[in-house]
Amino acid sequence: MFERFTTKARDTVIGAQEVARRFDADTVGSEHLLAALYEQRGNLALTVLEALSVPREEVEAELERIRTGGVATPSDAEALATLGIDLDEVRRQVEEAFGPGALDRTRSGMSRRWGWRKGHLPFGRDAKKVLNLALREALLLKHNYIGCEHILLGMLHEGTGAAGVFLRSRGVRQDATRIIVEELLKRRRAG
Amino acid sequence: MTDATKVAAAASSRDPAVGLAAVASLRGLLESLEELQVSNARAQGWSWQQIADVLRVTRQAVHKKYRRFGL
Repeated sequence: MFERFTTKARDTVIGAQEVARRFDADTVGSEHLLAALYEQRGNLALTVLEALSVPREEVEAELERIRTGGVATPSDAEALATLGIDLDEVRRQVEEAFGPGALDRTRSGMSRRWGWRKGHLPFGRDAKKVLNLALREALLLKHNYIGCEHILLGMLHEGTGAAGVFLRSRGVRQDATRIIVEELLKRRRAG
Repeated sequence: MTDATKVAAAASSRDPAVGLAAVASLRGLLESLEELQVSNARAQGWSWQQIADVLRVTRQAVHKKYRRFGL
């Protein structure tokens, strides 16, 4: 399915990982996908979100609220820094002796929620559902590609997690959004 | 506030959330480092008794803990 994604949609999916990490999440959620849409300039989803007055700042504020609503544990690096331990320096020393990734490959390292592991964050259930629904939206609109606009429409299905809840609270509706997307595409084709 | 002063402020804080989180992270780091060192020692042919002596624990304790790692 991923090969049908446009470059911007692909970059959004990749960018969502970075957003999730920045907000100390242990999985990538639909809300991280939403924030990542704002990082791809000139994508259709962003045009829609701007037209519907959903600014980036409000999405980021929502992410902040979700983060602090959970257990506000600082990351290991921050916690160790309060003891004067520089985790990056420890990692550097360990890797010098035992090779790249040695610290992160230990069982304790791999099981850490906010751990010292810097690698891949798994996609949560709602984010996966959004991506599957994006494909469905593309098929529904008879498009042969999956773009940012389909990801946005995927978020607007019922029961797809934090992004959908937030967007609906801002008055963004799926049927109206679909109409705007089609209209924008028509205009784009007309040049 | 610079990062350094933020760290200093956190270190001197009596907030249990800060202090306990630091202990938890330190324990995790300890586990990682111990695992690395024990597996390295085993790879270099050290006996469980030798490893236990240096770690200052009993041979049973270290063997029980790391046996499942297949070392």
